[in-house]
Amino acid sequence: MKRPTICRFICSLLLISLTCFTLQAQDEKKKEDKAPLFCGVAVSADIVGFAMKAVDAKFANMEVGARVNLYDKFFPVAELGIGDSHREGAETGNTFSTTSPYMRFGMDYNFNKKHNGNRLFGVFRYGFSSFKYDIANETFADPIYGTTSPLEINGEKATGHWLEFGVGVETKLWKFIRLGWSARYKFRLSLKSPDGGEPYFIPGYGKNDTNGWGGTVNIIFDVGKGSFNFKKKDKS
Amino acid sequence: MRRRLLLIVSSVLLLAACESYDCTLYNYVGCYGTFYQDDAMVSLNDTLTITAGQSGPVLLNKAVGTSKLNVPLSYWQEEDTLVLTVKGEYNLVQDTIWITKSNQVHYESPDCPTTLFHTIQGVRSTHEFIDSINIIRSSVNYEKTDNMQIHLFSATD
Repeated sequence: MKRPTICRFICSLLLISLTCFTLQAQDEKKKEDKAPLFCGVAVSADIVGFAMKAVDAKFANMEVGARVNLYDKFFPVAELGIGDSHREGAETGNTFSTTSPYMRFGMDYNFNKKHNGNRLFGVFRYGFSSFKYDIANETFADPIYGTTSPLEINGEKATGHWLEFGVGVETKLWKFIRLGWSARYKFRLSLKSPDGGEPYFIPGYGKNDTNGWGGTVNIIFDVGKGSFNFKKKDKS
Repeated sequence: MRRRLLLIVSSVLLLAACESYDCTLYNYVGCYGTFYQDDAMVSLNDTLTITAGQSGPVLLNKAVGTSKLNVPLSYWQEEDTLVLTVKGEYNLVQDTIWITKSNQVHYESPDCPTTLFHTIQGVRSTHEFIDSINIIRSSVNYEKTDNMQIHLFSATD
């Protein structure tokens, strides 16, 4: 009776030890893979907006952003920019112009589980802009009565709110410098504007419509642990 | 891989290059009215000519069998003068309608024609063949519904 009991005891000890060793190994692996809560901060600039302004496009959204890296997975983001549009209709002579600020808040979610410096994001933003715009037409004529009277309406006030959903990718260029792209589907939540006419352009949103597409190409300066491969760093 | 990337980038750029103009297709702004006699809609048997004032543009020229009128209002004047001339074989009668209004710019986009909407504040007329005018809708915009009911004197008068 004693031998089997001793044997059973030894076997149990071996099994427990093996289980503990396996669990410990898994824990170590998890520790390696898990990013810390605060992985750093980053500032960015959308180079598309500045390029559009440089080539005198119909409109341009020039923006900078800042974000916090949490667990290398959640990235609360704030973006601040200036929307600029000076547009003249080809056949109508109507002009529209505005230069106004806008803000966006939201979150990026990193789908890439590996902390290898590359990120695949899900993008969510809420944006708003309270802005003024000018409308003019120097040759505005009454086609029936034949009178010509320049049209000039300045300082029309409007406020727009919208949401953006999309995807983005980001890769490391050099040390703390990253390059990121995002494509976003936008839809307008509300627009308050005077009865005389809606604005042609909403700063930060783009051409005024119920929905639309947009994109960014960002140069990102990533400062903190998140900018490195911390898995390797921890090992060292 | 490079070809695929080039294709994707080209597609995105082409998509971004497209732009559509969503201008209102029916962008005529007119003041609509209907002729009534003895509380029933009536057609004028004689020709009807409408001019803006005595020497202004002709807004309606020698229309026959007219039961409804549809005239554009001026963009900037605060009061429009419409001279209605009804000419038959043996008779010619003329009435003048004054429409007092406010004007509101209606702007859609740089690529769409800008126009003016109006709000009718009051209407008065001479009384050669027009008895009275009722405003039933003061907003003059893209809607094609009546703004005024023009009551003519009774046939028995």
